[in-house]
Amino acid sequence: MMAIGLDGVPASLIRQFVDQGVLPNFARILGRGYRLHQMHVSIPEISSTCWTSFMTGVNPGEHGIYGFMDLRPQSYALYFPTYRDVQAPTIWDIVGGTQGGRTSSLAERFRGVFPEPLRAVVMNIPQTYPAQPMNGVLTAGFVCPDLQRGTYPDTAYQYLKSIDYVPDVDAEKAVTDKPAFLKDVEYALTKREEAFLHFFEQERWDIFLGVITETDRVQHFFYDAAQDPGHRYHDAFLEMYRRVDAIVGRLFDRFQNMTHGEGVFLTMSDHGFTVLDQEINLNAWLQQQGWLRLRDQGQWFDRIASESKLFAMDPGRFYVHAAGRYPRGTVQPSEKAGVLADLTGAVEGLCGPDGRRVVREVHLGERLYHGQARASAPDLVCVPNDGYDLKANLLQPAVFRKGPMTGMHTQYDGHCVLPESLPVEGQLHIEQLAGTILECLAKSCTLAC
Amino acid sequence: MRLPCRNYGRWGTCNMSTPLTTQPDQGPALHVVIVGHIDHGKSTLIGRLLHDTHALPIGKLEEIQAAAERQGVRWEFAHILDHFAEEREKGITIDSAQMQFRHRDRTYVIIDAPGHREFLGNMVTGSSQAEAALVLVDVTQGIQPQTWRHCYILGLLGIRSIAVLINKMDLVGYSEDAFNRMKQDVEQVLSACGVTAQEVIPIAARLGENLTQRADTMPWYQGPTVLDALGHFQSAQVVREELRVPIQDVYDVDGQPMAVGRIESGVLRAGRSLWVMPEGRPLSPSWAIRKYLQPPLAEAQQGDCIGIHVADSQLRRGQMIVDREAVACRDRIRASVLWLANRPGRVGDRAVWKGTTQEVPAQLTRIVKRFDPAEMAVVESNAAEIGPSEVAEVELLLAHPVVADAFGQIPQTGRFTLEMDGEPIAGGVVLAGE
Amino acid sequence: MDHLTALENKSIYIIREAYAQFPNMAMLWSIGKDSTTLLWLCRKAFFGAIPFPVIHIDTSYKFPEIYQFRDEYAKKWGLNLIVGRNEEQIQAGMAPWKGAKLDCCSALKTDALKSTIAKYGFDALLLGIRRDEHGIRAKERVFSPRNQQFAWDYQNQSAELWDQYRSESEEGGHLRVHPILHMTELDIWQYIQRESIPMTPLYFSNEGKRYRSIGCTHCCTPVESQASNVSEILIELQTTTTAERAGRAQDKEDAFTMQKLRALGYM
Repeated sequence: MMAIGLDGVPASLIRQFVDQGVLPNFARILGRGYRLHQMHVSIPEISSTCWTSFMTGVNPGEHGIYGFMDLRPQSYALYFPTYRDVQAPTIWDIVGGTQGGRTSSLAERFRGVFPEPLRAVVMNIPQTYPAQPMNGVLTAGFVCPDLQRGTYPDTAYQYLKSIDYVPDVDAEKAVTDKPAFLKDVEYALTKREEAFLHFFEQERWDIFLGVITETDRVQHFFYDAAQDPGHRYHDAFLEMYRRVDAIVGRLFDRFQNMTHGEGVFLTMSDHGFTVLDQEINLNAWLQQQGWLRLRDQGQWFDRIASESKLFAMDPGRFYVHAAGRYPRGTVQPSEKAGVLADLTGAVEGLCGPDGRRVVREVHLGERLYHGQARASAPDLVCVPNDGYDLKANLLQPAVFRKGPMTGMHTQYDGHCVLPESLPVEGQLHIEQLAGTILECLAKSCTLAC
Repeated sequence: MRLPCRNYGRWGTCNMSTPLTTQPDQGPALHVVIVGHIDHGKSTLIGRLLHDTHALPIGKLEEIQAAAERQGVRWEFAHILDHFAEEREKGITIDSAQMQFRHRDRTYVIIDAPGHREFLGNMVTGSSQAEAALVLVDVTQGIQPQTWRHCYILGLLGIRSIAVLINKMDLVGYSEDAFNRMKQDVEQVLSACGVTAQEVIPIAARLGENLTQRADTMPWYQGPTVLDALGHFQSAQVVREELRVPIQDVYDVDGQPMAVGRIESGVLRAGRSLWVMPEGRPLSPSWAIRKYLQPPLAEAQQGDCIGIHVADSQLRRGQMIVDREAVACRDRIRASVLWLANRPGRVGDRAVWKGTTQEVPAQLTRIVKRFDPAEMAVVESNAAEIGPSEVAEVELLLAHPVVADAFGQIPQTGRFTLEMDGEPIAGGVVLAGE
Repeated sequence: MDHLTALENKSIYIIREAYAQFPNMAMLWSIGKDSTTLLWLCRKAFFGAIPFPVIHIDTSYKFPEIYQFRDEYAKKWGLNLIVGRNEEQIQAGMAPWKGAKLDCCSALKTDALKSTIAKYGFDALLLGIRRDEHGIRAKERVFSPRNQQFAWDYQNQSAELWDQYRSESEEGGHLRVHPILHMTELDIWQYIQRESIPMTPLYFSNEGKRYRSIGCTHCCTPVESQASNVSEILIELQTTTTAERAGRAQDKEDAFTMQKLRALGYM
């Protein structure tokens, strides 16, 4: 079983590039009994949330990761959730017997199905730092501050160190020195491939999960180059896709060799991408609406003044400043529904400079999220219309802004390439994939026994 | 298919529990220096002792293990002591580090002294704080020149409470015979250094055998464990008869001079007659013992920092308060010195002699004997110079007389340093007689 | 002589030695438990009237309880209090969120201290550092020289024998004196208990949390604790796993993450 993740690669772009001949390996794979699906992803459509949904097979209400940052319960203290904060077990925990104290609806479904632990190679999935002991090899993806702490076991780290592996590229260069950035991307892709192939060959494994994140990095800054042949970096953009296509092709071939064509191969992404027109600062907007006031003392969200009714966090998460939930919260339980109704109305009416509505979908947290981690969920989340990237900056005053980024995530246009033998009913959703993978593994187990 | 696990090797089990305490110890801590060759297992011994006496904060061990992994080095108990990154890379302890543990309501401060010759100054610094010593010897290696030098210094420093630990017994199959042979060798060397061991104990530090608990592997050994032996060592401070209070400073408190200092020897009792040395004049009788903000005390002990409140405007730092008129002050001193500086000391050299708060220019007038503790041999009599790390019996001439007792009688006022440009170049002890 | 009295005597000896050797000395007071204990020891050493200034390096982000305590006891104990601030950087809005946290410490603490030392020409400083605090501090000397760049040559420390402490600081540099180097965290709390040394209420449980280590509001997080007095703290000290400075968020990983997120347009 092998799954290759390509961060941010949209189904529509794969379709287009395959048709245009930019992705020969994808074309070949799709011709050999594989199908490209447009996959919906979790909300909010951000890497930390969606990769966690992929690897745990449950919604954020069960796994607890709602974004790159969150607030500690009952406080304004900002923290960056790590793998430790993921409350549901992952695919490799379930098959490898290393669930520990964690459980989830998916884990329950497969309880007792894997009496003999299976080994996994897990490379570069975001939200897996710091590395925890597991059955196999794991090296963490974004954010990985310390490669050694992000890799298990130590021998795997020694190998990665020996090849000068890098877990990430420096996105700041994408603004200050684009050619250098693209060089870094090329280097990272080379190392990614080298490491993947090494562990592919050297390790005994039953499931291989490898993610390439450079696609997302490049797309944030160069997505406008994708469709515009006249764009300075158009060729570079295509070149990156060709490179990724080659890596996927090589892995696919080796995998098919190894499994004599019996292996289940898939590629997927954690969300799609589209061109970015404007960034919308929801916290600036809330202040404009009079629903949020920031004091001068305190840091980050500790600046929220008591009379505030709402505040926002990246990307598109709204929280009611409720009494009992936040130290200075003043919104009473009876008022909450009204506040959310007002917010929904206002946000639906929010239009960009070109007159289009900013927000495409509004969801109440209590309807969207279910599970053991519901308590920390946002009260309301928005999915934006293409072109409007929802931000929640506390320092910038402008509601609308055009920054250096030219690409943004989409919730509806993630991709998944699956064997035709795995039928999909209705709209494919990222939260289903883990279950599908586990079913495949369970089946192959029973066949082997 | 099993979960891969990190195997750090077989460690002994430890089932001692240290009772929680809110009450402080009744007695002072015992400072124990550990000497021995670097490879004989000192750092491991200390790490193991701290671990087995539950002296490490919970979680610290995991933290240290993780740090070692990050360094790419295999974790060992010795890492507990090695905080410097340089040391971890080089694998050497450079400095003296102090760690402590409690056992049966007594605190033990462990001083680890570096083994290398270059770091002698550091070793002496650590040892100068010690009241007891553990001498570690690898049973397969025997006592090294390094260790001879250290043992000699222990003797020089007057440390009597010494236990010898014969380590790595696991490598010789816990042989009683090997132990006895090594014990004999060691006792011979120590005797040549002028030192006697109170205990000689067979141990395997890495495995924790005979450290805090008796080992089943050596049933032939009936003596105490290391921890038991430490328990028997008395704290050094034997209270002596003679009063010695070197004046550190003089403050003005409530309109009257307050001479502050630490009672280095003896007991200070209110109402007694006191003299100021080296002048040799009596102190005005209306003096009071003051401590901090309390009313005047009737008595103060050896080791107490006190103030002598008295209407005497002639008191200053460097003088010594004593309780007898006939305390000998001298400007010619015969002493044993350990040369710490990197360059040799020569007859005629000038330095600052510092003993307690006394500070006086001095000159090295004669090098009676030069001695290399590593060789355990006199190098030269009536030498022209003393080499670095050597010990010598010397004669010093001071610019004016000071109170300098024989080290064997009052250690606190019988030891001194020689400084040049603010750096200690030698440490010494005053020898008896003229 | 009991253990705490032996420690106290040793500290007082060192404090008095430092003052005797260095005419122009000052003490650093962070209003934390260690430096307040040191302040207490100084009061004892000098019979109530500390003859040198007490410096508080103020980053402007300290808890209000700290400022309150400082002012109350500066007055009560008649301290010659110098408040050192890097006014320029504070006005410019330097804060832990402006770039790496270490930059904030560097600007608001280290630089402020440097300029205070330069302004008054202190040649020695008393600090409340203990040997059992994390890592590198376990190797400090009692009298430890710093050169003008505040650099510490820890590989080449000279010997300290028998309470003979070095009496010269480097040209243009200053000497750091550590009178409580030999006291452990447990010793400090036991001493605080014995002497009834006043402490800021931050150390004691408030709504189930207390601070084990205090500094600036942003970079200190409280720990879960019910310990509301010194005895309870003493028990807790021996049964908890948190390292003393785990509350302090000098957390390079957070800074790293923040930088990465910022580069991608978040934050």
